[in-house]
Amino acid sequence: MGDSVVIRELRKSYGPTPAVCGVSFSITAGEIFGLLGPNGAGKTTTLECLLGLREPDDGNVSVGGLDARLFPREVKRKIGVALQSTALQDKITPREALKLFGSFYPDRIAPAELLERFALSAKADAPFDSLSGGQKQRLALALAFVHRPGLIVLDEPTTGLDPQARRELHDEILRLKRDGTTVLLTTHDLTEAEQLCDRIAIIDRGLIVATGTPGELIAQTCGQQSVTLITDRPLDGALWAGVAGASDVRGEGTTVRFRTSNATGSVADVTALLGAHGIELVELHVRKASLEEVFLGLTAAAPGPSEDPR
Amino acid sequence: MNGLGEHLKLSLRLHFRNRLALIYGYLFPLIFLVAFWVLYRHEKVPLLRHMGELLTVSVLGGACFGLPTSMVSERERGVWRRYRLTPLPTWAFVVSTAVARYLIVLSAGLLQLGLALAVGMTLPEHPLGLFVAFTLVAFALIGLGLVIATLADNVPAVQALGQCIFLPMLIIGGVAVQLASLPEWAQQLSAFFPGRYAVEAIQACVSGDGLAATRFSLPALALIGLAGCIAGTKLFRWDSAQRFMARSGKLWILPVFAAWAAVGVLAEWQSRISARVAAELAAAVAVAPVSKETPWLALTAKDVAALSFRVPSDFGVVSPYAAPDDEATDYTKDEVDAARRELPTWRPGLRGDDVQRVRNLLCVAAVPDAIQMPVERYLPPVVLQHLEDIYPRDKLIKILTWIVLHPDDGTVVDNIEALGVRGSAGDPYVVRERSYLYALKFIIRLTGRDRRN
Repeated sequence: MGDSVVIRELRKSYGPTPAVCGVSFSITAGEIFGLLGPNGAGKTTTLECLLGLREPDDGNVSVGGLDARLFPREVKRKIGVALQSTALQDKITPREALKLFGSFYPDRIAPAELLERFALSAKADAPFDSLSGGQKQRLALALAFVHRPGLIVLDEPTTGLDPQARRELHDEILRLKRDGTTVLLTTHDLTEAEQLCDRIAIIDRGLIVATGTPGELIAQTCGQQSVTLITDRPLDGALWAGVAGASDVRGEGTTVRFRTSNATGSVADVTALLGAHGIELVELHVRKASLEEVFLGLTAAAPGPSEDPR
Repeated sequence: MNGLGEHLKLSLRLHFRNRLALIYGYLFPLIFLVAFWVLYRHEKVPLLRHMGELLTVSVLGGACFGLPTSMVSERERGVWRRYRLTPLPTWAFVVSTAVARYLIVLSAGLLQLGLALAVGMTLPEHPLGLFVAFTLVAFALIGLGLVIATLADNVPAVQALGQCIFLPMLIIGGVAVQLASLPEWAQQLSAFFPGRYAVEAIQACVSGDGLAATRFSLPALALIGLAGCIAGTKLFRWDSAQRFMARSGKLWILPVFAAWAAVGVLAEWQSRISARVAAELAAAVAVAPVSKETPWLALTAKDVAALSFRVPSDFGVVSPYAAPDDEATDYTKDEVDAARRELPTWRPGLRGDDVQRVRNLLCVAAVPDAIQMPVERYLPPVVLQHLEDIYPRDKLIKILTWIVLHPDDGTVVDNIEALGVRGSAGDPYVVRERSYLYALKFIIRLTGRDRRN
């Protein structure tokens, strides 16, 4: 399948402060692509440049082969957007909102069909301010889908939702993918990104620092396992240096964490070390490195540029 | 265009779901109307002379407060940011918002007109002209509302900015206070406010010469509206995080000021302000020819008794009359003393036949009342005393009765500066109304009806 979105060398500064310093990535049609990054990393600015809310200083943004800077209206017809907080008038009903937003596009889905699909039929004529958080987010998704766009952009769609509503929204996003829609998702929730995204780009201080599938990121960035152990009393930190393959050792009281590329050898050395000092092992956990650890490893450092001083 | 129509329909629907907007949009204009009716209920045709002011105030409220409040609050909620993600162009949203507001103020205006007709106002003389004038007034003031919406960063700022425009327009802009009653500097300044052209245009179509009399005011309103709409569109802000001071293109605000200034300068250059006021005053002070006939002499006590003596309270806003024990204070005493001293030699009181002289002297009480000067209630007793000094009681009652029965005859005086009392009503019609009321009050006192009740 071809690329749905291509962003090349995107740059945007707010006065003297750079927010995005040459971001490049592409999204293949039909995939769920996650854009991850800490606050102020440049996610929102990148998204706003893609959506036409902000004019980039330099770089190219194309959607479905169209230059977003040259053909903003045409590009807007190809994109459906659900922003972080759904902003609608208090007294508008879901049916009215769907009818209104549908009228902005030449090709649209009937409100009744969307209400049914996004489980909003029972609340079709209820004022917006009476909807629950989950219902509001489903309405936002329905509004994004009102003109059958090829690309749907979801900006932190599950923020503030309870676990049930979050799961329902995840199902809906996966359904969009099954229907052939490309999804660009920004999120702070790394578990969510790992569950939903086919590919992920991690942005930090205005630059893409890693791109790949969640598995690739975990493998290529670390290829290591994480070991956590709890003992009955503390052990001098210097002694851990002798454990085979251990790196990034962090101890706090009776809890010690380290990473290793040789879990079997490391665990054998640990048990021998504890036995030699007469220390009891209370708990031992060995697991693959998570996306969160990858993310923290890639983005932990000095604070990034201010994203939007306006 | 489908999107524009849907947005327009939805804006109207949401307006009617907002109780506060309904109160401001419909109830307040009706309250204004009732207040004007109470104040001017003694006029021959209720409210006819005030529809220009009433309708302008309604449009001003809807345009300077209603429109920007709704736009800025939606912008603060992020509704406009969401709209921006759609392919509908900016101008379409601006047009549908402005048209929705026009329909809202039009419906409020029709409601006012309907109520005015119900309480006795006659039909406007030029209904089609009134529709055209109202539309251009709404266009000008909605343009102003769009500018307020772009300047204000939040809803409290809308209220502050709206008041900054609303109040001066009411007080010195010729909307709520008649131009001729304003001091010279305020009359000149009012030329730069669209409010006075709005009142002028609407009033001309309600009780004047129709669109023919609006050759200056309607183009002036169109220019002001056009400048406002252009600036409102160019400076349109989708996002509340975009602050006005931080944005580029702020110079687009200049066409608005330029339009107001151009209209004001042109009006001054054509001497429209002083010409209009002078024309009003000249018409008022013209001296009627002396009539040798004295038909009032034929009036009898029966004719006097047949008069309707329903007059406003002496302690009210209209035709107040100081009680015998109500002495003028220091502030107004000088004016009362000057008037008492100058009345015997005041030229309008000596010119014309007896009826015209008395008519002119009644104006000394009527003019301060029309513009609600602090001295208003002290002058009627002075005038009555002077009339009693120069006419026998029976003759005076007959002359006053004749004036009551023929309120539109002769001429009236709208300038009593020669008596040391500065100010003029600017409208001969209102001076006639008040003269009529004081003539009745004088008859009541002269015939002892006040003592009998």
